[in-house]
Order: sequence, then C-alpha cells, then structure tokens
Amino acid sequence: MAATGVAPNNIGFDFSNYARNEFLGARLGAQAKTTSTGTTIVGLKYGGGDSGDEEGICLGADTRATGGPIVADKNCEKIHYLTPHIRCCGAGTAADTEYVTNLISSNLELHSLSQGRQVRVVTAMTMLKQYLYRYQGHVGAYLVVGGVDSTGPQLFTVHAHGSTDKLPYVTMGSGSLAAMAVFESAYKEHLTKAEAIALVARAIRAGVFNDLGSGSNVDVSVITKAGTETLRNYETPNERGIKSRDYKFRRGTTAWLKENVRDLVVSEEVKVTMGAGKAQQGTTDRPVAVGAGPGGEEGMDLDA
Amino acid sequence: MSIQEYNGGSVVAMVGKDCVAIACDLRLGNQATGIAMNFEKVFPVNDTLYYGLPGLATDVYTLREQLRFRVNMYRMKEEREITPETFTHLLSSTLYEKRFGPYFLEPVIAGIAPPTAANPNPQPYVSTLDSIGCITTPKDFAVAGTATDKLYGAAEGLWEPDLEPEDLFETISQTLLNAVDRDALSGWGAIVHVITKDKVITRTLRSRMD
Amino acid sequence: MECSFGITGKDYVLLASDMSAGRSILQFKSDENKIKELGPHLAMAYGGEPGDTNNFADYIERNMRLYHIRHHHALLPHAASSWIRRSLADSIRSRRPYSVNLLLAGFDTTDDTPHLYWIDYLGTKAVVPYAAHGMGMHVSLSTMDKYWHPNQDRRDGVDVLKKAIAEAQHRLSIKFTFNAIIIDKDGIHTVDLAAEDPIGKIEAEKAAKAEAEAAAAAAAAAPPAAAPEASAPVAAAA
Repeated sequence: MAATGVAPNNIGFDFSNYARNEFLGARLGAQAKTTSTGTTIVGLKYGGGDSGDEEGICLGADTRATGGPIVADKNCEKIHYLTPHIRCCGAGTAADTEYVTNLISSNLELHSLSQGRQVRVVTAMTMLKQYLYRYQGHVGAYLVVGGVDSTGPQLFTVHAHGSTDKLPYVTMGSGSLAAMAVFESAYKEHLTKAEAIALVARAIRAGVFNDLGSGSNVDVSVITKAGTETLRNYETPNERGIKSRDYKFRRGTTAWLKENVRDLVVSEEVKVTMGAGKAQQGTTDRPVAVGAGPGGEEGMDLDA
Repeated sequence: MSIQEYNGGSVVAMVGKDCVAIACDLRLGNQATGIAMNFEKVFPVNDTLYYGLPGLATDVYTLREQLRFRVNMYRMKEEREITPETFTHLLSSTLYEKRFGPYFLEPVIAGIAPPTAANPNPQPYVSTLDSIGCITTPKDFAVAGTATDKLYGAAEGLWEPDLEPEDLFETISQTLLNAVDRDALSGWGAIVHVITKDKVITRTLRSRMD
Repeated sequence: MECSFGITGKDYVLLASDMSAGRSILQFKSDENKIKELGPHLAMAYGGEPGDTNNFADYIERNMRLYHIRHHHALLPHAASSWIRRSLADSIRSRRPYSVNLLLAGFDTTDDTPHLYWIDYLGTKAVVPYAAHGMGMHVSLSTMDKYWHPNQDRRDGVDVLKKAIAEAQHRLSIKFTFNAIIIDKDGIHTVDLAAEDPIGKIEAEKAAKAEAEAAAAAAAAAPPAAAPEASAPVAAAA
C-alpha cells in the first residue's frame, strides 16, 4: 500500500498525500505553512592582482528564518557545507535548501571518492542545477555556490528553476536588492581579504536592516586554496538586551488536577520468597507514563 | 481557515536546567465546534524523549503510527534508544519524503539523551520542524499550533535560562494557559510533562473550559 | 441533512440516527436504517455522501465479519476503531475518497466498558463520552453536555438521548424520525423510542428470550426416550 507502507527501497519523494491535499485544498482551502529563509545571501571573488592576497571567495548570509510574518529562527545557518572547499548559501524554502545541499554534498563526496580528486565548483553547480531543473522550480532552493578548485576561485548563483549565472559578485534572496546596491557602489576587482570580508558584511547588514525578511546576525565564510574559514556570527548587531528582572512564578501558581511522577531510576531488591506465584511483599507497581495519546484514555502504551 | 487550523491545538516546549518540559492543550475541534477535550498531542518516544504533533488530527494519528514503526525498527536494529537529535532527523526525513503532499503538522520535540560513554552529560534538547521537515533547534523554547503567535509572545516574555524543574513547570504552564486563552481553537484543558534525567512529572492542568 | 447521536453510560452505549434519505432539500425516504451492526457488540451510525455511505458501511461490515470468521472472535471496539480510521485515512489519500462520517459504538466484553468513537471522513478519531454528527452537532451537543453525567444508568441515558432528539426536532426545520440501539454485555438491542419505557421493554424481551432458551435447553436435555426415535430413520435408511 503506497499510502502507509514504508518501502525501504523507495528513493525520492512520496506523492501519496498529494491527491488528498489537492482534494482538501479544494474543500478546505489553503496550503501548508513552510519555513522560508526570506534572506540576504551574497558572495564575491577577491584577491589576486596587486592586492597581495591570494585569490578566494567570500560568502555571506544573514541568520533569520521566517514562517509568514513570524520569525521562526533568529539565528539559523544559511551557509551550507558542500565539500571542504565548496560552500553554498541557501535562500527560499528552508527545508529544500537544507535537503538539496545535503543530497548534493553526499553525491559530491561519492564523486570525489570515485574520481580520486577534489571536485570542481562547476560540478557542484551542475549537479544542483540539473536536480532543480528536474523539479521545475517546485523544489524552492535559490543558491549561491562558491569555492576554490584546480581552476581557481569560482562563484555561481543557481535559481530554483535550474538557471545559473557565473559572476564576480552576486546577491540573492529578498534582501538581494539592498545587498547588490552595496556591491554596485563599492565592489572592485582584487580586493584584499580584509576588504572583502568587510564588504560582504556590509552587504549583509544592508539586507538585515533594510529587508524585513532578513535579520539578526552576519555569517561569513572565506574560501581559499588552503580551505574554508567559517566565521559564524561574524557580526551580531542585534543582540538581545538583558532582562532587568526575572519573571519567575511563585511555585504553586498553576493549579493542576492530576499528577503522575514516573521515576526512571530502577531500584531492585532481591527478596527470598517461598512457593511459586506467592504475592511478593515490598514490591510496588510502577506507574506507566501517561502516554495516552490522541483520544486520551486508550492510546497506545509506551513502547519502552 | 487553513487545513492546519481545522482541528485546532497547540504545543510548547522549553529548556530548563538539566530538564526540559513539553506541554499541549487537549481540544479536538471540527472548525469552531468542539468535539473532544481529551485529545493529547504529546507522545513519548522513550523514557526521556517526548514529541508533540499539533495540526490536522487525522495526520496526528497517521504520523504517530508511522513514527512508532520507525522508532521500533531503529530500536531493534541499533539495540539502543534513539537520541533526541537522531529522532529529529528521523522525523525530518519522514516529513520531507512527503514534500509534495505534506502532513499538516508542525512537530515539536523535547528530551534529554540517555548518558553514554561518549556523551556522559547530555544536555536538554528542544527542536521544532515545519510541515516539510525544516529543523529549527532553539536554545530556549519551541512553539507550534494555532496559538503559535500568542505562545511566542508569552514565552518570549516569561522564559529565562536555568529554570529548575518546578520553576520550569510554572513557566511553561502559565505560557501555555495564557496563550490558549487568547486562542479560540486551543484550550479545553492542558497537560504538561517535565522531563529530568531521573524522572518525568506529568500534570493535567486546571484551565478555562470556554 | 442528517443527524446522529451516541451516548455512553455505566455499562452500555446508545446510538441513534435519523432515518431520512434524500438530496439537498428533498427527502426521498424516511425509513432508511443508517445504523449498521458490525459484530455482536459493535455498531456504527453513518452518514455523508449518498452512495459512499452504504458502500463504505458494507465494506466495513464484511471486513469485520471476515475477521470474526478468521480469528473466531470479533475485533474489540478499540481495534475496530483503529482499523476503520485507517480505512478512511487511506481513502482520503486516494483519487476518489469516501465521504463518510460515522459514530462507532461498542461494548468491550473483556473489561465490561462501553466505547464511543467520533470519526470523520478525514480519518479524524475522537474517543468521547457522547457525540453527534450532522445537524445534531450544531444543536444538541450542548444539550448532551448539560445532561450527561458519568456512570448514568440506562434510563438516564435514554432520557438524555430523548432530550437531544427533542432539541434537534425543536431547532431544525427538517423533521427527522429516529431509530436507536443500545449495546451492552448481552449484545445489541433495538430501542423503541416511542415506547413509554424503552428500557423496560428491552428487559422484558431479554427475560422472555432467556426463559425460552432455558425451556429449550431443558427440553433438549430432558427425555433420553426421544433418542431411539431420532435414530430410527437413520437406521431405516441404512
């Protein structure tokens, strides 16, 4: 039975609820709420030329995740690991960015193992775009892919429909306009590493403070031939203030009707008894965790 | 009225000092009509790990049965209890498998991993997922259900770090009670579980019944 | 346009349903039985999309019977409720789902407890002390909420049911006729809502049946003299 069976060989998505949800959508309206990363993500190439620094990629992201108008996570991570020398910033549907980058990361690892060399950034980008194109934009991942490989520093954007761009400086997400304004005014070739990090952080800050979908902190990743330097919460311009007093309730404030304390410490005592089946004195029944489940009294018992 | 709000109901979980708490309301509705006041939305996975499933009631049953199966398979294959972190990822991939036909649920997980040689002093853990399995792991509290907005407000104001189990009970209870009182689709009783390393305290709260 | 009720008590569960069948504002039939017996101590009152209802009820009935035949015992109410819920939850995931809502009532003979389940077409299940589907959900739940109390005896239960039905008749523009059953440790009995004392009537019937059975048992056990007569034709045939 497709709907309930858990097929171990089932690879990919399970559409068994699709027809139901279409039917339900027509009958009851609306669709499922999903967390999205209304986001500012950026990346740029730096170094080389007369900068004195080796060439590299600097990626940046804010740390706000939203569910509709609600801030679902104030400090999430949007710079995803692909390989030791490739990172990927994700915007769009949060679950999709998470799963797409995880999947491609695994495939890249397998690829490098089978080929016996480091994978190239174009390979990562191509695998991502081919996967996303297959789902015609329904997998809502908008990505900035950056890294350094045998061909030097590489920077791409990948859209959910499968289109890609190769540019020296890129921005994506709802805060991309604010961030791009910063890049357009201040980007130049052959920035030093310090300048690059400062510019990326400024672009993310532009998103954080001018786009409602972006907020909280600035994450930065710097990738060079040597590897990746992760600067998690590089800037925290929105630290929460310290409460001036506490709001603890006096114990006993909440009235309750029933209590069940389940002691997890097992204490056993060996008792010598005479005769089979004789009542053993001194043993007590241990109450089972409430675990009544939907419908209360007669749910399934605790498995443990 | 969205599908997620069809039956009503809310869940909240909070981190304390060497303890976690998870609580839910008990209402099951049919849009505005109340049907039952004994519909628990928080279930045990093992001694020190609980999860809550607010959302469409039919999916509460279906996903619960599915998870019971998968956790039992894990337990038999691994010959150990699942940790909160692993369970979160199990739940996440279960939900993401149905990316294009999701369960209308927003799970909340709360627990403390059993101590092991590698991790002798496990920390309290709370996480929440959206309906397609995006994980959020807050340091303080997680909320979900039809009273999400109100729970955020109440929890943001009342939660503080390092609450002892009894103080955590008061904080989570007052957060839930006051939030569901401002939500027409949640309420009708509440149940709170406070999980510590050596015991689980479960209390059924007295609440408004309107 | 339908209306059904379920009420549990100390050692019984009541189920009542309207008897109308029709479409929109038209009533085609007023003596349709919409309560299905699913086993010796299990029954359901169902409603929803015409066509779906009878088909689904038959499907459930035959599967319950099949289980009974295969395992030599019927599914207990809780197990039956899980199976029926699952059927609806699977159906809602199909291309043409059943649009059936039902109240499942049963008596668990292993621990002598009554059970009532409110189940809708989505596969939502609620374990409840009293319940209503259809129009009754809007007008009579409050009546049942006011008058129901735990451990009430049969006559109190029938009183609550009558009040709930009266409320429906009073508030709704459509006039329904109702049939009802009661399930207890002895099985399923029809409740004559028009009778002065429906419970008294059922008890009298039970007593009469018990008496007849006792008489039959006594007759079968009594004269060994009948044995040669019975075997005579067999011998003749041989």
